[in-house]
Amino acid sequence: MLAMRHISKVFRTDLIETHALRDFSLEVAEGEFVAVTGPSGSGKTTFLNVAGLLEGFDSGTYLLDGVDTSGLADDARSRLRNEKIGFIFQSFNLIPDLDIFDNVDVPLRYRRMKAAERRERIASALDLVGLASRAHHLPSQLSGGQQQRVAIARAIAGDPKFLLADEPTGNLDSLMARQVMDLLEQINEMGTTIVLVTHDPELARRAQRNVQIVDGQVSDFRPYEPHARPAPMAAAATA
Amino acid sequence: MNVQEIRPILSALLRNRTGAVLVALQVAIALAVLVNAVYVVKQRVDKIGRPTGIDVENIFVVTSAGFGAGYDHSATVRDDLAWLRGLPGVRAAALSSGVPLSGGGSSNTVYKTPEVKGEGTPVNYFLVDEQGVDALGTRLVAGRAFRADEILPEDPTYHEPMPSMIVTRALARALFGTDDAVGKVGYDGLGRPITVIGVIDHMQGSWVDWDKLDYVGLLPRRAFGPRATYLVRTAPGQRDALMKLAEGHLSASNPKRMIQHVRALDYYRDRSYRSDRNMAIFLVVVTVLLACVTALGIFALATFNVSVRTRQIGTRRAVGARRADVVRYFMVENWLITTAGVLLGAALALAVGYSLSRAYQLPRLDLYYLVGGVVALWALGQAAAWQPARRAARISPAVATRTV
Repeated sequence: MLAMRHISKVFRTDLIETHALRDFSLEVAEGEFVAVTGPSGSGKTTFLNVAGLLEGFDSGTYLLDGVDTSGLADDARSRLRNEKIGFIFQSFNLIPDLDIFDNVDVPLRYRRMKAAERRERIASALDLVGLASRAHHLPSQLSGGQQQRVAIARAIAGDPKFLLADEPTGNLDSLMARQVMDLLEQINEMGTTIVLVTHDPELARRAQRNVQIVDGQVSDFRPYEPHARPAPMAAAATA
Repeated sequence: MNVQEIRPILSALLRNRTGAVLVALQVAIALAVLVNAVYVVKQRVDKIGRPTGIDVENIFVVTSAGFGAGYDHSATVRDDLAWLRGLPGVRAAALSSGVPLSGGGSSNTVYKTPEVKGEGTPVNYFLVDEQGVDALGTRLVAGRAFRADEILPEDPTYHEPMPSMIVTRALARALFGTDDAVGKVGYDGLGRPITVIGVIDHMQGSWVDWDKLDYVGLLPRRAFGPRATYLVRTAPGQRDALMKLAEGHLSASNPKRMIQHVRALDYYRDRSYRSDRNMAIFLVVVTVLLACVTALGIFALATFNVSVRTRQIGTRRAVGARRADVVRYFMVENWLITTAGVLLGAALALAVGYSLSRAYQLPRLDLYYLVGGVVALWALGQAAAWQPARRAARISPAVATRTV
């Protein structure tokens, strides 16, 4: 699904060069649920941006669902993001002036999908996250957990192969965080590949595989073992 | 662009509408002022640009005033005209009772019957000599000009009859209902006949604001002194040099008189149209300033919207918006605001136009101007929003992952 090989990404200013990713390699198989962890400044966000095609990289290769992303033009990257990737952000990133229905509709509109098909997908996504009855509420009328579920509905409405979640529970209390993680697991079980970027080891343990980034490199990862998902929380703690 | 695409942009706009409403109001006021101002300017420009029927660019005017005992007006005029007519480059020179387009002149009423009944026709008349038609540069289309032997002597009493007259086509039509007026007879206020001996194509008279500006008659009589006004028509390009020459000679030729002015005829024309020209310039300046302020308002709102929506734009880009989609979003949003403004502004413009036409007897606002104004405001709005929209499109999708 995702194959990064020898990726490097350097941020340069007049005075310093920061190697955010160096010789970074990671493969994520289709259907996998991978948690990427690491301390602050380790390169997690840069990995997320590169993996999500939000930023380019300086060297190496990155294949997303078999598509070589190096050298893609901006429009092509936009199209690839729209079709292959669903994003879930820590701050939900809903558009405050649009109601829930229209928020979920945003990526579908950019796919130039017919209105009837969009309506069907939005209804189905909102149904999955349990917010079908709130379709015409504004984000400000929902709790944080509900807003994140709307964000998940927006991420999955386009039926992407790959979900990229950036600290999806970072702004939620523990109960809501658990509900969101349950939802992500449910989506993963339906076949969607998920990469979860988090600094929270508890959440990371709910993934099938943990990858730790330190100083822009993968420092530790456990190979993918199909059907080896640990039991949520308590079991994960002993893994 | 269809309604389906506009709906979410419109609904987002309506939820956050204060700035948009203010800018739409600004657009509405701008349209109302712009359309009416441009219309008034066009009328003023048309008024200033009306054909005069006179060779304005090649005529200069000399005014001489005799004074003191022993001043001989007839001899002075005779000598002055003989000298002026003898100047190389002078096509004609005539003594005249007034200066066309100057704002000063004489008028009288001519009647269709000797009974002097009913409403007469007002005539702005000029007493001229045998070179009057040539000195004005008017075009004679029927009949003839005055002969030297039919120029009557001075008449300070204004009571002597005028046997003949040269009229403009416009006056001929007003008096006789036809251009073919040679031989036709009108009557002065005492019922004395005046026979038309010639028709000139067109000539504007003294008062540029008069709606009968081209009701002009030339009468064959020497204007009385001690003041004399000469109309001197030169060959093209020689006017200014001959003015200097004339001023120098005439000032020195007779110690019993002074030369008051030697001025080009376009000086008088420009002076008469000064208020129209100033009004047009003022309205153009106001219109341009208003357009600039409106453009700035639109630009400021679009810039503000881009800066407060940086995260939102990044998110849109992250979930698949192309740069062109972002530009399009802001251009459509701006178009919606401008459209609301121009719809309101169109109604306002018609109301203002109607009020102006009632208050100042102006023609009713031409709808072409309204259509032009709407198109101009749309274009202005899109131009003003273009740069902020382009800036929005440059926002990186990675902004979406920044935590504040």
